[in-house]
Amino acid sequence: MKKEIKKWFSLNLGINNQDHKECSGSGCSHNSIEKTEDGISQVFDVNMNRRQAFKKLTAGLAIGAGAVSTSCSLFSGDKSKEKSEIEWEEYFKGNYKLMTEEEKSKTVDRLIRSYELRNGTKINISSKGAEENILFGYAFNISKCQGYMDCINACVEENNQDRASQMQYIRIHEMNDGKGLNFGEADDTYYHEVPAAGHFYMGTQCMHCDNPPCVEVCPVQATWKEKDGIVVIDYDWCIGCRYCMAACPYDGRRFNWSTPEISEQEVNKDQHYLGNRLRKKGVMEKCTFCIQRSRSGKNPACVEACPTGARIFGNLLDPKSEIRWVLENKKVFRLKEDLGTEPKFWYFMD
Amino acid sequence: MVSCKDKKDEYHNIIDKIEDLSKDYKPVSLSSETYIETLNKVEVIENWQRFYIPERKSQIKSFECNECHSKPLSELQNEKSIKKSHWDITLKHANQETMNCVTCHSENNMDKLHSITNKPIDFNLSHKLCSQCHQKQYKDWAGGAHSKQIGGWAPPRVSQTCVGCHDPHKPHFDKRWPARYNTQMADERN
Repeated sequence: MKKEIKKWFSLNLGINNQDHKECSGSGCSHNSIEKTEDGISQVFDVNMNRRQAFKKLTAGLAIGAGAVSTSCSLFSGDKSKEKSEIEWEEYFKGNYKLMTEEEKSKTVDRLIRSYELRNGTKINISSKGAEENILFGYAFNISKCQGYMDCINACVEENNQDRASQMQYIRIHEMNDGKGLNFGEADDTYYHEVPAAGHFYMGTQCMHCDNPPCVEVCPVQATWKEKDGIVVIDYDWCIGCRYCMAACPYDGRRFNWSTPEISEQEVNKDQHYLGNRLRKKGVMEKCTFCIQRSRSGKNPACVEACPTGARIFGNLLDPKSEIRWVLENKKVFRLKEDLGTEPKFWYFMD
Repeated sequence: MVSCKDKKDEYHNIIDKIEDLSKDYKPVSLSSETYIETLNKVEVIENWQRFYIPERKSQIKSFECNECHSKPLSELQNEKSIKKSHWDITLKHANQETMNCVTCHSENNMDKLHSITNKPIDFNLSHKLCSQCHQKQYKDWAGGAHSKQIGGWAPPRVSQTCVGCHDPHKPHFDKRWPARYNTQMADERN
């Protein structure tokens, strides 16, 4: 293995934590990958000594005080020392987009361990990357949707969304027949028996644009489009400026105004770093086509939960896929096509 | 539009991109095989599409029908002593002039369905019966626009068959309350 070049100092509090360093993310690989220049090295492209000195200084000032107090305390056990080490490493880790496979699996392992230390239960976080020959796409049949909202419930449970604030990635709009696609007059908070006479239903969520405006405006590149077309967010890199929320023409993004709270037994423990892992206060989140499911061949939770079959998901590059058949045989349209955002979310009718 | 994006990944629109990238499409390594292992499947080729549908006969509670229906219907109807069966089924499918029980069920062989021209149709392949009238839905179903996937998006394709979602005796979806009410959002909107 190539000698590891770390961009920050490890906090060694003298506990041996090698035993839980084994790789648990499914996408992890121990193959050493040629180290590329990343953001930090580009910005601080100065000679080694000065760079190290600079880091020593900042790192020390930032969280050194807390860590040192932990390490020097006679009363803090190995667990709290380990927690401090994990917190330190997590604080200084880079942008996920720039991480090597090894760094990805390390941060995933740290997050798994950190959850175990806090809650005493094991979760599974994957760092599985995009596969070749896949471009995910979605089709929504507005003649079929009856407004039952089963998709929303499935989404909330699958993606560990905050329960109290009722944050939801999907909105189902009740549209008036004869008024076209009039979102201004549509109701997304209806509560009466559905389908209601004189109405039709239309779901919106992140459309995973091929030319996503949210990605362009992010000042810290905490959101980007993956090779398989999924627009993702690194929750640990997001600074919560909400530029992306303002840039999205489809109301696809959500912000955590408070710390998301889900009771321990309701937490979906099958997670992905870029998907449904637990978020924190002050970061953006949104639909990821259930990246933890779709990257292992499953349908997103909304597609699986839909009782009417109005939701179709699949690989746009596979000429034999159902989504391709829909695009080639049905009269499909997308929202705000004239913006040039190229959403990969089509609507059609029977 | 001027942009400084990655030029090698630039297409005029998404359709061009899909067409170009799928020219030399190689099947993906992902499979939904593990999610459908326990499902009994029947392979069908419909409208030039090859896929699986769930096996039906084992899901019908009182199959096989000839365990009760030992005689043709006309004879059974004459037996006064026999109690009324299938009382829980009311037919709400088209109207009585168009359809009754024997439009689909075979009077002489209750273990089979039959087509308009009286050809037997297996219970596992009931879509052949539905497609006689619902041609448009049948084509959408075979193509994938009207067929809920089972397992996942990855091949092999397993699709729900007509009777998997629609009760053949009452095919229309019922009205019901939405699965949730968003009090928070309702407050914010009003």
